[in-house]
Amino acid sequence: MTKECSNSLRGHDDFWPPVCGDYVVGDPEAKVAVVTLASRLRAEGAAISGPCKTENLGVEKIVANTISNCNIRFLIICGVESKGHLPGDTLLALHRNGIDEQGRIIGSKGAIPFIQNLPPEAVRRFQEQVELIDCIGLEDEDEIALQIERYNRLAEPYPGEPFLVVKRKAAREEIWAGEGDLILGAETAMDTAAWLVFAEEN
Amino acid sequence: MFRFKHEQTIVNVGGVKFGGQPGELPTVLCGTIFYQGHRIVQDDALGVFDRLAAELLVSRQAELSEETGNPAILHLYARTIEAAERYLAFADDAWDGPLIIDSADPSVRSASAQLVSEIGYADKSIYNSISVATGEAEAQAIRDSEMDSAIILAYNPANSSVDGSLQVLETGGSVKEKGLISLANDAGLVNLLIDPGIVPLGSGAGSALRFSVVVKARLGLPTGSGIHNAVSAWPWLRSADKATKWCCDAAASALQLGAAGDFLLYGPIESAKFIFPAAAMADIMIAEAVRDLEIEPALEHPLNRLV
Repeated sequence: MTKECSNSLRGHDDFWPPVCGDYVVGDPEAKVAVVTLASRLRAEGAAISGPCKTENLGVEKIVANTISNCNIRFLIICGVESKGHLPGDTLLALHRNGIDEQGRIIGSKGAIPFIQNLPPEAVRRFQEQVELIDCIGLEDEDEIALQIERYNRLAEPYPGEPFLVVKRKAAREEIWAGEGDLILGAETAMDTAAWLVFAEEN
Repeated sequence: MFRFKHEQTIVNVGGVKFGGQPGELPTVLCGTIFYQGHRIVQDDALGVFDRLAAELLVSRQAELSEETGNPAILHLYARTIEAAERYLAFADDAWDGPLIIDSADPSVRSASAQLVSEIGYADKSIYNSISVATGEAEAQAIRDSEMDSAIILAYNPANSSVDGSLQVLETGGSVKEKGLISLANDAGLVNLLIDPGIVPLGSGAGSALRFSVVVKARLGLPTGSGIHNAVSAWPWLRSADKATKWCCDAAASALQLGAAGDFLLYGPIESAKFIFPAAAMADIMIAEAVRDLEIEPALEHPLNRLV
């Protein structure tokens, strides 16, 4: 589910970044976002920076927080890769290949590379809006700052509205209790399928 | 605080029992050593570490286990097979109980399964883990080993709800051709411990608690989790002092036990000093809660040792 906001002039809305996480927000008008993978590094001059250790939820957060700010045109991937999970490789694969019908990130070598909470249009927008700069392994903060400075000068904001990802809320279903499969005592039972506690009838 | 209608499987790995009705068996507590970033590791590729510091940590866990009655497992994390060899040699000298063998790299996990078989540790080792990421090569390596115990990680990346995790276990859902329980059985694994996989707070960490109850109600298998990961991945808590973080870790652990957890992957082995008392206290409370439901705590239960 997506909704448009009316902040195209600034490139982002008042509540950017929309998804919480382990990151530092810099200048929202900057053109560069930085992911430091398993390393903790300073990234001066970036719009947003922080680590990412997982190839599914972590990658989703990066996508959601970059496409919701049209100013961000580059994502620098640096720091040491998170072993086994390989979020850096997964970001590159997502950008290059996208996802299949199940949400699996095509071509990722990560352990469980899936996009679950983003619509396919968000992935397409990520591919269009952001260019990835593969600096995996780079931990030199001065060099990272130079890269940020260089790429900040290279681009204009993405021509469009910020893309906000809003998670769909499931409609509440009427709850039916079946047989109690978990006994709480005092003639009280629970149907764990419906997660409903009830008094047992004699 | 529950009594399940479904018969509860009790898994025995190297003399340590997991499962049963809540309040029956003490919770099994698994502390990790040589984890990523562990200060006592000098070279995680070669497996070079401070042996004295490691011995102190392992013996402290053993002492707390002896004192509380909560069985302990040593969870070995290795980055490479060279490291795994050294860590297993250390465990052979310093630890009497069961082991969990673990790595982020499937080839290291597979090689470790062979290694524990060669040194006669297969019957007291637990493979961590079988998941949707387990491919045929890894399954074949386990089949070729003598291991018969594993943690099943029921994380469903396409549907992280309780139903989605159940699908991964039973049918594979949309991400696996068959369920992880069948996959594990086909690989020769019969002692199965179910772990929902813990995602960060805000992404659904709490659903692991409901999942634990549902798994025991539907399948009767032992469940548990590494719920401390929800605490350590909480950015808001990062700037808090150590005592505050420990309190949250202990509270999360007690929540998992209150939700019918049978084991706890409690994280860094250094946490033993506050996790064992917290878990023992929760075990006592739970045993007392079901005392008049005809559930008898085992002889070694904290209820029979600490009060």
